[in-house]
Amino acid sequence: MTRLVCPFCGPRHLREFEFHKTLPAPGAGEFASVYERVDSLELSVEHWQHVGGCRGWLLVRRNPSTGAVLDCRLVGGGGAA
Amino acid sequence: MSGPQPRYSAWSLLRARLSGDGYWRPLWGGRPLRDAYDVVVVGAGGHGLATAFHLARDHGVARVAVLEKRLVGYGNVGRNTTIVRSNYLLPENHYFYEDSLRRWETLSRDLNYNVMYSPRGVVDLALSDDDLSGMARRGNAMRLAGIDCELLDLAALERFCPELEPRRTRRFPIVGALVQRRGGTVRHDAVAWGYARAASALGVDIIEDCEVTGLRTAGGVATGVETTRGYVRAERVVFATAGHTGMVGTMLGIPLPIETHLLQAMVSEPIKPLLHTVLVYVFPGHGETYICQSDRGGLVMGGHLDGFPSYTREGRWDRLEEVVEGAIELFPQIGGVRILRQWAGTNDMTMDGSPIIDRLGYDNVFVNAGWCYGGFKAIPASGAACAALVATGTAPDLIRAFRLSRFASGHLLDERGGGPFPVRL
Repeated sequence: MTRLVCPFCGPRHLREFEFHKTLPAPGAGEFASVYERVDSLELSVEHWQHVGGCRGWLLVRRNPSTGAVLDCRLVGGGGAA
Repeated sequence: MSGPQPRYSAWSLLRARLSGDGYWRPLWGGRPLRDAYDVVVVGAGGHGLATAFHLARDHGVARVAVLEKRLVGYGNVGRNTTIVRSNYLLPENHYFYEDSLRRWETLSRDLNYNVMYSPRGVVDLALSDDDLSGMARRGNAMRLAGIDCELLDLAALERFCPELEPRRTRRFPIVGALVQRRGGTVRHDAVAWGYARAASALGVDIIEDCEVTGLRTAGGVATGVETTRGYVRAERVVFATAGHTGMVGTMLGIPLPIETHLLQAMVSEPIKPLLHTVLVYVFPGHGETYICQSDRGGLVMGGHLDGFPSYTREGRWDRLEEVVEGAIELFPQIGGVRILRQWAGTNDMTMDGSPIIDRLGYDNVFVNAGWCYGGFKAIPASGAACAALVATGTAPDLIRAFRLSRFASGHLLDERGGGPFPVRL
């Protein structure tokens, strides 16, 4: 994984982006949201920020075993691309 | 394989040289997988092998197996930067790592295998007065616990590490350092091989190419493990699978406060002696480089985590660039030296940066995990303490703080003071 495709800026090098956190499973309680992780070899859902570009907050779905980016869009929906 | 493991000594090696064949034996293995054990340890890395060794040696547990998916030492014990130290701020951490450092000092004798412990010193470089006062605080905490360390001003640093030329004009001038002289390096592969050999000689079955795929339970207790070579009954099961403990949690249906991240390391082509100690250089703009020189002459370097969850073992190239940038900032003369190898290991990153040695879900299932990027130096203490927990059912004082319930009770061991995040933000 060397690039992310920002919905505003298009494909950019990974160094422009900052990983923020892994998102908890839907319906997780407060403790689980902060501390617990359910590890999956196939899917990791994360918040990233395009700090070196549009500074938009991104919802990224990735496969952590292959590094493939399944989906990258703006948090809360929207975005140009 | 035939005959018992010979005891190595200068005399025995000389005799072996003169007598020709017949002396050397495979260091471990050669025994079949049995269908029942007192303790099954999952993972033949440093922590798993050390746990098995101490179970057999200190607690007289007769039937111990270490089951390994790949090869002995294939994981992080063979992928790290070989640094050992105990320069931690929090008492729970520095007492534990100091216990480990003391064991490193005598490990070659204890295992009858040369692990090449080299107390060449570990030096944290300070680039500002703030850095220096943080180091003074950490150093004072260590000295109160009776652990060696010294705060060095520029003149003292120049005496300790003249090759660094601390006064040289740099983008980020060095103002001082914290040194732990007993810290240093240990030959990482020898640690895995030495523990495997010593455990095997005590009767531990080390089974490679045997992946554990599930845990079988009955009436709230574990009865054994499912493996790619069939079912193995076990009185107790220990998961020492750091780097993949998140997957163990998923397998058992127990969410863990662990994320899996990559940490990479790299080594240069061999060069003439340049650096006699271990330097840790954290420079403004989030960069970090730790660097030492192996006995073969290669510069061994590492830095920050890659920064996001991954199992790829690839390592991002801009991180490599950043680590090398720091190294060249320290030693401009290595600018033309080539990188020989780069690799990445998967790390169990806990939500407070400290490990977990505790029961996991069942009374007879244990986990030795969450070593973040500091697992190698912990191996001797972790093995001894984990074995005591498994054998007696009670955690020794040394690891009481590493319990899993600390996240729920709020007794976090947050050495970094960074909050409940696996990576620095």
